[in-house]
Formats: sequence, C-alpha cells, structure tokens
Amino acid sequence: MRTRSTKTLATAALLAAAALTLTACGSGDDSGKPVAVVSEEAASHKAATVLDQPFEKPDLVLTDTQGTTYDLRKETAGRPTLIYFGYTHCPDVCPLTMNNLAVAKKALPKAEQDKLRVVFVTTDPDRDTPGELGSWLRGIDPQFIGLTGDFSTIQAGARTLGIAIEPTKKDKNGKLVSVHGTQVVAFSPKTDEGYVVYGEDATVDDYTKDLPKLIEGQNP
Amino acid sequence: MVPLAATVLAGTVLLTGCGSTQSGGTPDLSVTSSYMPQPVSASLAAGFLTIENKGDAADQLTSVTSDAAASVTMHRTEGGAMEEVDRLTVPAHGRLVFRSGGDHLMFDGLKSKPVEGRTVPVDLHFAKSGDLKVEIPVKPATYTPATGH
Repeated sequence: MRTRSTKTLATAALLAAAALTLTACGSGDDSGKPVAVVSEEAASHKAATVLDQPFEKPDLVLTDTQGTTYDLRKETAGRPTLIYFGYTHCPDVCPLTMNNLAVAKKALPKAEQDKLRVVFVTTDPDRDTPGELGSWLRGIDPQFIGLTGDFSTIQAGARTLGIAIEPTKKDKNGKLVSVHGTQVVAFSPKTDEGYVVYGEDATVDDYTKDLPKLIEGQNP
Repeated sequence: MVPLAATVLAGTVLLTGCGSTQSGGTPDLSVTSSYMPQPVSASLAAGFLTIENKGDAADQLTSVTSDAAASVTMHRTEGGAMEEVDRLTVPAHGRLVFRSGGDHLMFDGLKSKPVEGRTVPVDLHFAKSGDLKVEIPVKPATYTPATGH
C-alpha cells in the first residue's frame, strides 16, 4: 500500500511538472508571437467578395494630385472604379496593393485601361500633399488618381464603405504612424455601386483574372 | 518521500530549461525566404524574411542595420496599423516570420532605390547569437512568396 501511494503521488507530481513545463514553453514570451503561418492556399480561396448589399459611392469632394477639386461621384460616374484608402509612408501593404492593381491593369486592352478609374485616397493628408501623392503614384501608374483633403471628410467617406481609419499619430518614439484600409472596393460602371470587395491578401493574379469582369460590371 | 522530492526538482530544472534567459541550451539560427519588394522610391522599403531556430534556447532579434539605409526598424502590423517594436523573439525550435501584412522590416532613407535583381545587405543583431549577415534579394513590387512571382 505504502509503495503504491508514493508512486501515485510521484506520478501526479510528474504530471504537474509536465504541465508546468508545457505552460512555461508555450507562453515563454509574448513579444515574439511565433509563426502563425496560416495556409493561404486553402481550396476555397477566392479573393473577391461579392456583396449582397452594395455600398453607395462615397460623396467625397477632395483635392487631386494636380491640386484641383475632384468630385468622386461626378468624375467616376459610369466608370468601373476601384477605391483604396492608404498612405505613401506605408512600406508594405499600400504599395503592394497599388502595384497589384497597376500590374493587373496592364494586362487589359488599352481601351479598357482608359475606362478604369483607380482611386487612392490618402489616410494621411498632412504628409500626403497633392505633390507627394502625385510623385508616389507616378512611380506606380501615372493614370491612378490620388486624393487628399480634410481627414475627417476622408474618414467619414471610408466609414460609409465599412473601412475604419484613424488619424496619423506619434508613436512612443515620436515617429508618425498612420493607418491604412484593408480593402479595395470595386464600383460597377452600370450602377455606380460598390459591389465587390477585396482583402489585402488579394494577389496580382486575382486582380488580373477579375479586372475584365469588373470593367463590365459583372461579378468576378 | 525522497523520490517525490527528486521528481519535483527534476520538473523545476526542466522548467528553467525552457526559459530564454537561462543556460542549458543555445539558439541555432538561420535565415530563409528573404526578399524586398521593389519599392516605389528610395525613401522607404519593406523587407521580409524567416528566421529559423533549430536550437534549444530562444533568442531575441534586438536590432537590424544596413549599410544601404539610414535606418532599419522592426514593425508589427495589426488591423492596418503599424507599430514599431524594440525586439522580437525567435522561439526555441521555432521561427520568427516577417511577412507581408504582418511583421516587417522598414528601411528608411535608402542610398539608392533598390531595383529588382539586386540585393540589399542587412545585419541582424541577436541578443545571444551575435550578428547574422543577410543579402536580401530585391523582387518585383508584386512578389508574393506563396506564388513565387
């Protein structure tokens, strides 16, 4: 009896130790956030989400890269239009998104390229002046339209598309940090409504495949 | 009671072995899958890579420098917002992954615009393993590791 109960105790202690060890290993450090490499090639991967309830085009009157007033609804009426909210001091997702669109656009016939309106609305209007925005976009695609203006107007416009952005602020090191949207919204030339949304994992191949449909206002 | 005490003690030792600051193991680091998408201009670029640790101890990436840039900083992105971080952990038998839309290296003030086909030299500084030198290849602006183009 005595031996047995000691064994039981020892086993329990071992188990407890094992549990502790596991815990210590698992949460060893929270700053690293090891490797959530989510598989991006799941069978169901589809970049486009066709909306049941399309968005109205935001009523934005802003300033373009020439410094002139640009009425988004008026200028893009009846045109296939893609809208993205981002900023030029963004190293990763904003240039990737705009370059994906630029490369996909080049695969279209010239006449269709000329129909398409790609609109980049800055979320960082203080730094993204018309001049800054213009030189950045010229490095990606000279036909792209860049808009800047009052932040609260831009924020309100983004919100109507379900895109949440915050004003640029200083981080703990005093550096300016801005926020970009995570979606590209496609507006139909037939209805002028935003009917398809792309997340930031959409690739150049996704856009290349879908743009010919979007140009016609068809579902991708 | 002697065996019990011994077991508990052993458990304690194991537990300590898992921590990143104690002796009892060393990190064994290597870098794979590095790339820099060709940036819009020389003023700003992002870099991505994976640091693999085959060792028994964690390590920390404490800073990154490059002769090609005025500064290199480490950033985490969450929900469209970027946050600079001072250090990042490479877990024992694990990986630290910089990838588009997540953690990234940010290069400010490059001496010239990195162009596709060239490389950008980078020194990774670790708390324990010292420095690792990497030549990061510049890829097309739309490159993604998932498709390889």
